Amino acid sequence: MKYRKISWLLFKRQLLDWMSVILSLFAILFGLFWLFWILWTTLSLGISGLSLDLFTEMTPPPNSETGGLANAIMGSLMMVGLATLLGTPIGIFSGIYLAEFGRRNMLGEIVRFINDILLSAPSIIIGLFIYEIYVTRRGHFSGWAGVLALTLIVIPVVVRTTENMLRLVPTSLREAAYALGAPNWHMILNVSLRASFAGVITGVMLAVARISGETAPLLFTALSNQYWSLNLDEPLASLPVVIFKFAMSPFADWSRLAWAGVFLIVLTVLLLNILARLILQRKTS
Amino acid sequence: MHNSSTNVLIQFDHFNFYYGKFLALKDINLSILQGVVTAFIGPSGCGKSTLLRAINRMYALYPGQRVEGGLRIGDENILAEDVDLSELRKRVGMIFQKPTPFPMSVYNNIAYGVRLHENLSRSAMDERVEWALRKAALWDEVKDKLNQEGMSLSGGQQQRLCIARGIAVHPEILLLDEPTSALDPISTMRIEELISELRGEFTIVIVTHNMQQAARVSDYTAYMYLGEVVEYNKTETIFYNPQKTETEDYVTGRFG
Amino acid sequence: MNMENAQTEHISKQFDVEMENIRSGVLTMGGLVERQLAGALHALGSEENIDLLTVVKAREKEINQMQVDIDHQCAQIIVRRQPAAIDLRTVLTISKVVSDLERIGDEAKKIARRAARLQGNDRLIKMQYFETIHAGELAQQALGRVLNAFARLDVNEAIAAYDSDEEIDIAFDVIMRQLIGFMMEDPRTISSGLDVLFVAKWIERIGDHAKNIAEAVVQIVMGKDVRHASLEEIKAELEQD
Repeated sequence: MKYRKISWLLFKRQLLDWMSVILSLFAILFGLFWLFWILWTTLSLGISGLSLDLFTEMTPPPNSETGGLANAIMGSLMMVGLATLLGTPIGIFSGIYLAEFGRRNMLGEIVRFINDILLSAPSIIIGLFIYEIYVTRRGHFSGWAGVLALTLIVIPVVVRTTENMLRLVPTSLREAAYALGAPNWHMILNVSLRASFAGVITGVMLAVARISGETAPLLFTALSNQYWSLNLDEPLASLPVVIFKFAMSPFADWSRLAWAGVFLIVLTVLLLNILARLILQRKTS
Repeated sequence: MHNSSTNVLIQFDHFNFYYGKFLALKDINLSILQGVVTAFIGPSGCGKSTLLRAINRMYALYPGQRVEGGLRIGDENILAEDVDLSELRKRVGMIFQKPTPFPMSVYNNIAYGVRLHENLSRSAMDERVEWALRKAALWDEVKDKLNQEGMSLSGGQQQRLCIARGIAVHPEILLLDEPTSALDPISTMRIEELISELRGEFTIVIVTHNMQQAARVSDYTAYMYLGEVVEYNKTETIFYNPQKTETEDYVTGRFG
Repeated sequence: MNMENAQTEHISKQFDVEMENIRSGVLTMGGLVERQLAGALHALGSEENIDLLTVVKAREKEINQMQVDIDHQCAQIIVRRQPAAIDLRTVLTISKVVSDLERIGDEAKKIARRAARLQGNDRLIKMQYFETIHAGELAQQALGRVLNAFARLDVNEAIAAYDSDEEIDIAFDVIMRQLIGFMMEDPRTISSGLDVLFVAKWIERIGDHAKNIAEAVVQIVMGKDVRHASLEEIKAELEQD
């Protein structure tokens, strides 16, 4: 009798166990399902649009046989590259300030608070902001405006990761450097930053990944340009904006190019993420 | 058994230490002799680490920590406002509880501190690195790994690397803050052996939780309790025939 | 200052138990040695023939075994506990104390043997080695005192034992002169006179061993090595405290 009772209890527990495993599996599958669907669509639709023309031809007028994304790719590369170049040092130095000097003072707290707001601000607001303070004053859309908007997105990401990574550096390591007579700046650059180098670089890569897909801030700033242009003072094409425009059009060749662009962005982001992971792993192992 | 030198090198004189408003060290009067090993022992929170960290003014990193009274090294009042901390810390090396190799090669770990204070040619630096590693009894183990990351060494090797880094800048004083508490017994013995070898050449002050370690490595021992030096005497006296009942209770394990 | 300390407790109760075992072992062994000596002196002074030797031999074995056991326990404590200060001094000196006790036991055994031989011999009448028996009693007293001093870690009692040893030494000189006198008067007493002289010498040694134990007590309590130091110095030291 007793044994029976126990086995019934055991059965109930096992049932519960099974049920929770199945439920979590289902949740995972649900998430993965959409993810793979998205990837599959991107891949299947994007790969058909891949060709050498994509990198050599300009964005075409509707219903033309030829055409590529060369101007958009170049524009994206320029704006993302410049924004990263501008935003990274500002972000890293602010991160250093927060981690090394502003741990408990008022300014540090304020900067941290504002940075958090900036970090979670919708990117369209940043686009509008640049539109207001730069584009309207200059009187026209321009690559520089795009660079500025993207820089504003890069900075908070880099600030946050840099600060977090520097904070992970143990106090004893800092003290060890000070104990040798190292001045403050020397300790930060050669010990703290070095110890958290991999983390900081990862932060930068994540920021790059994020801005390479941003559309909203570019719509109000760089707008687009259907011709080849290296002039940052003119409107400049970019992959996300071109995708935005082409994907919504009724023209089949445009939509094909849009998918190819999507594929390129997804690929870049994926590669950057993998690279960031590799760097972090190599450093920590 | 210890050096005949009886020159006082470090002199605490009515020394007080505050964490904010809390008085952590009370009226410390202590003369630490040159060329010998002095141990600070006592229960947790008795202020032994605080006292140690005053000698290289490590506390200066933290606002809210302040001192009163006198602290001299040789003839110099090291509490003076105009003391060059970088210069002071060149004279007073410090080794911490956990090994703290910098995120760079074994070679650069040693060279880091030297470069801060001296401008050596490549070959002179090579010599200095080898000298320091030999002094720290690490050379034979790492001479083929000079370009590897310092982190790749074992815990005990890392700690000896830190000692090598500390002595590479030719300090007069070495402060050891529980240098073996994170190490296994064999590594601990190596470090203790190293301390005996460095005795005489450097003035060594060691904080340890391990009474037997203090008994093994030190010439003089200060027993501290609640921010005061209860008894300061030759180590053999502290462990064989302490003069204060409080000390006796502590070293015999009747209190702690 | 340290006297109370040996009684207060360690954080480790087991350490207390081990130390207490050793200390009570020493006292038990001391008791056996006292009985050994008392037996020997009784045989020396008694008129009738009493056969002690079997008892004495059995007790001797027991004493030797206790010495080995206590030494072993001391080694164990050193290995396991790394004793310091008063504990270290206690453990170190107990090794010496038990060896002194064992030697006293030895001397007592030898006295018992000689006493057995002397019983059949009336060349020297009891009165003539009355002094020797008195010296033996002094030694017995000294032994009792040092054991008390050890039990209570009482330096003053230990110093008193020191004084008894001096008396014993004087008594030995007196005995020797007396015996030489007897032996010169009547050469037939030489054989038993030498026996008595040996007994007196052993008693004098028992006094020395008791003195060693007294020194050990001073060592445990004060941490001062008083071997070969004069009584006055120790006393002066005590006055200061």
